[in-house]
Amino acid sequence: MGTNRRARSRPRFVSSEDFCRKLRRKDTLGGMIEENLLLILVGLPFAAAIAASTVRATAHGAAAWVSGLLLAVGLAILALLHAPISDGQVLRATLRWVPSLGLNLTFRMDGFVWLFVALVFAIGILVLVYARYYLSKADPVPRFYAFLMAFTGAMVGMLMSGNILMLVVFWELTSILSFLLIGYWHQGQAARDGARMALIVTGLGGLCLLVAMLILGQIVGSYDLDRVLAAGDVVQADPLYPLVLGLFLLGCFTKSAQMPFHFWLPGAMAAPTPVSAFLHSATMVKAGVFLLVRFFPVLGETDLWFYAVTGTGMLTLVLGSVIALFRHDLKGLLAYSTISHLGLITALAGIGSNGAILAAIFHIVNHAVFKASLFMAAGIIDHETGTRDMRRLSGLIRFMPVTGALAIVASAAMAGVPLLNGFISKEMFFAEAADWHNGTWLDNSLPYLATIAGIFAVAYSLRFIATVFFGPEATDLPKVPHEPPSLMRRPVELLVLVCLVVGILPGLTLGPTLNLAAQSVLGADLPYKDIAIWHGFNLPLVMSLVALGAGVALYAALGGRIATGPEGPPLLHRLRAQRVFERILLSLTWKLPRLVHRTFGTERLQPQLRLIVLLTIAAGFATLWGSLRQAPSPLATGFNPAFALMWAVGAVCAVGAAWLAKYHRFASVVLLGGAGLVTCLTFAWASAPDLAVTQLLVEIVTTVLLLLGLRWLPKRREEIEEDKLLPARIRRARDFVIAVVGGAGLAGVAYVMLTWPLIPNVGDWFLRNAYSEGGGTNVVNVILVDFRAFDTFGEITVLAIVGVTVFALLRRFRPAPESIMLDEEQAGLDDRTVADALLVPSVIMRWMFPVMIVLAAYLFFRGHDLPGGGFAAGVTVSVAFLLQYLAHDVRWVEARLTVLPIRWMGIGLLIAGATGVGAFLFGYPFLTMHAQYVDVPLIGQVPAATALIFDAGVFALVVGATVLMLIAIAHQSLRTTRMRERDSADTSEKEAA
Amino acid sequence: MTALDSLPPWLMALVAFFLVLGSTLTLLGAFGLIHLKSFYDRIHAPTLGTSWGTAAILLASLLTWSWVQDRVFVHELVIGICVMVTTPVTLMFLGRAALHRDRAEGGGAVPPAAAARSSADESMSSDSDPKAATLPTTLGSEKVRP
Repeated sequence: MGTNRRARSRPRFVSSEDFCRKLRRKDTLGGMIEENLLLILVGLPFAAAIAASTVRATAHGAAAWVSGLLLAVGLAILALLHAPISDGQVLRATLRWVPSLGLNLTFRMDGFVWLFVALVFAIGILVLVYARYYLSKADPVPRFYAFLMAFTGAMVGMLMSGNILMLVVFWELTSILSFLLIGYWHQGQAARDGARMALIVTGLGGLCLLVAMLILGQIVGSYDLDRVLAAGDVVQADPLYPLVLGLFLLGCFTKSAQMPFHFWLPGAMAAPTPVSAFLHSATMVKAGVFLLVRFFPVLGETDLWFYAVTGTGMLTLVLGSVIALFRHDLKGLLAYSTISHLGLITALAGIGSNGAILAAIFHIVNHAVFKASLFMAAGIIDHETGTRDMRRLSGLIRFMPVTGALAIVASAAMAGVPLLNGFISKEMFFAEAADWHNGTWLDNSLPYLATIAGIFAVAYSLRFIATVFFGPEATDLPKVPHEPPSLMRRPVELLVLVCLVVGILPGLTLGPTLNLAAQSVLGADLPYKDIAIWHGFNLPLVMSLVALGAGVALYAALGGRIATGPEGPPLLHRLRAQRVFERILLSLTWKLPRLVHRTFGTERLQPQLRLIVLLTIAAGFATLWGSLRQAPSPLATGFNPAFALMWAVGAVCAVGAAWLAKYHRFASVVLLGGAGLVTCLTFAWASAPDLAVTQLLVEIVTTVLLLLGLRWLPKRREEIEEDKLLPARIRRARDFVIAVVGGAGLAGVAYVMLTWPLIPNVGDWFLRNAYSEGGGTNVVNVILVDFRAFDTFGEITVLAIVGVTVFALLRRFRPAPESIMLDEEQAGLDDRTVADALLVPSVIMRWMFPVMIVLAAYLFFRGHDLPGGGFAAGVTVSVAFLLQYLAHDVRWVEARLTVLPIRWMGIGLLIAGATGVGAFLFGYPFLTMHAQYVDVPLIGQVPAATALIFDAGVFALVVGATVLMLIAIAHQSLRTTRMRERDSADTSEKEAA
Repeated sequence: MTALDSLPPWLMALVAFFLVLGSTLTLLGAFGLIHLKSFYDRIHAPTLGTSWGTAAILLASLLTWSWVQDRVFVHELVIGICVMVTTPVTLMFLGRAALHRDRAEGGGAVPPAAAARSSADESMSSDSDPKAATLPTTLGSEKVRP
């Protein structure tokens, strides 16, 4: 480390108690007012955004006025706050947001933040004035002003955040809003691409920053910015410091467009010029350097910081200025110039001496002022001539002398011409580059690199002026150029005036504020540094003069060649980071996923299912291997022949179902039903009547659904040759092994579970409390609709989603061509006697409908105390509907019954949700149930729980979802009939022709 | 001592008679299902179980529980009615499906369909009732698909 570094220890907050005491001391009346003013300050731009979003689409004036006035109020508040700030106070305001996460809406303001916020508000107002005249009548107004103001709010929030997590939140908000702003003219491909690129680059950087902040918070033990800023020693001693620094710098560098992440900034030039003027002068890109300067006390002052930050900054500074010289697009030149200047500020933050930080802050302000004016001037030129191509623009000084003069002054400031603000901060940079030594190669090369960048900066500024305003009058411009409306020029005039005033009287104008800002970054004991124009004939001045002279010479020598050359410096123009990004994006989001999908994915169902089963088996073995063992004293019951016989039947059914599944699907489904029935009987046997009822009903619905689905499978032919060859046999043997392993594993787990002696568990609590707490004696139902009602609520939501998904999938389902033809079984069904013969069954099935509805009602109402409940009742009702579809054809049923399953589902969800919300009315948490006895006339005391209403919701949803799926499948037969009719119409037409 | 021990001997005899009757009939039906040769014969056999087989066992249950609980117990009647009403539907479907299939395959063992004999009537009626002609009972066909 260098010898002239500041001493590490600064008198900052010594401990947390001290810090809290300090806070408490400020909790006076004056403090309250300031606190509220801070909150208002953050809220103002957002209020402006909301106001602007409500105006008519053509009300340019109104939106601009509202936004501008609110920003002006913000400036007035800043003026009020200047007094305490200049005393060296740090103002704070806190809103508790998520206290459990340590995430409070804390806002703080010191000198540095004050300066930055003032800059954002001031440039914001000027940009608003400018935009008022820049945007055409066709551009939608509310969107522009609302986004711009919301962006301002996000930026101000970021600057004033007193909590590093919230800082990241606002940081990401600026990324998102800048995406919306850059893509404002979303009709253009360039705007969309530029916006997307900016979002991806800065958004990824924001994620890195978030991780860095999380680790930082963990190291420090607090997410409070003040604590973090005071904990530099702790952070730098931590082994995670390099990781934190890397991630932090990724965030800053992407935002501040440092190489190699600079490419999004030229792409963002597709934005409307007011947006560019705002984002790329005072706000968006300055967020990165703001953070670099802000966190310098925490993360800086190490070799790693110096190399990473100064190195990147210098690289960006030099390359940016070189590329800027070779751009033909006016805004492209300004974009690369911005990149270069950001590199300069970054390099200063990397150097990190007292003077460097001061210079960095100063250059942030200066660059914002002259770059905003230049962007506006470029926008005026674009607006009035219709082109931004410097090869076509020429001699504009004759058409727009005032604008020309303003642009000349502003670009002179950009080039660093004496008596302008850019000169002074650049001079300070040269001084830091030349003065400060730690003896490393990077440090030794700093003055040379700085001078080279200075030369190119002079050259590109000169090119901007010389090609656009001087030379012969341009003849082939899309529009005849003339001066813009005077109000559109006013912001530029003001900014150029600032350039001049600051450039001539730096110590009087910005000096105190800058020193205050530097003090608030580096510590209150920082000596006051006088900012002056003249420091004598010293090395920085020589560097400046060399840069000026060599820059002019460079442009004089190369000017003509550049104009005819490609867009970009020689050799380098082929390497376009933007294109590299596009290519990476393409391969990451398109080629790679497709490759992975091709390699590892399959569109065939069987391998997918096999993979799922294999994964499940693997997961089961991985978790249970070694830990699954039989209970020391397994539970056992005596052998019961009847039960054994029942299970034998069930097992035979199950094996038979698997055996026949290949060629005889129908028989297989029947056997599956047999196995299900045995399961159901087992439940009944083992005193689980609720499960038995549910199993029975589900079994019925499943079987019918399977039968309906089977209709659409092509017939399997036993005579296919390949089926008997070796590969097929091997495949089947492998599947058999998988099936046996899976089944045996599951059986083993079930066996161990069932024979394990009962231990006290949560079930006992449910058994004890079902009646006293839930008011029901059917524990299963009470658990479902009361104790775990929230789970049930989630489950029925899933059921609704599944129902709708099945419906949506089947809506577009088209049967395979071979299933459309009448197959041999159907061939004879035109025979009317069949329909007649089925009259008796269909009448009986029709009359079962009311019976089943009664049964459903019975199941439903007894549910809370006896086996049954909403789910069972719902399935019963859907079985009743199903029976009607079985007894008659679809049209017959739907001419008589209107089911509207979607509404059933919606109403069911609403009822269940409303029951839950109803608990709020009585001050209980969501889904708290109430049970009591109600005196019903004629019947007497009836138990009535609000759980019953919830159960009604479950019931309605189950009815809706099941019927929806059934209808979706049943309607396939209608569709086939229609397709068949069309086919036969086609053939008959062909025959006629 | 279980509840059944409280029954008086005469009732016990009656219950036993019904139980034996019902289970014997059901067993006979099951045996017939295996033993009989033709499908059309076979679908008759299980009806022994679903008619008096079920009824006798239900009666036995009804008598027992009415005595044990000291009140008239009629739940079994509901079961009986449901079984008696619904099982014929299944058997009718099965029989019709088999008949339809045999006709389609043309085995010759079953009489031809009435429609084949009077196709003139068929075309007229299908004109007057297009729905019936174009939309056969869709689900019947799914039942018989192998």
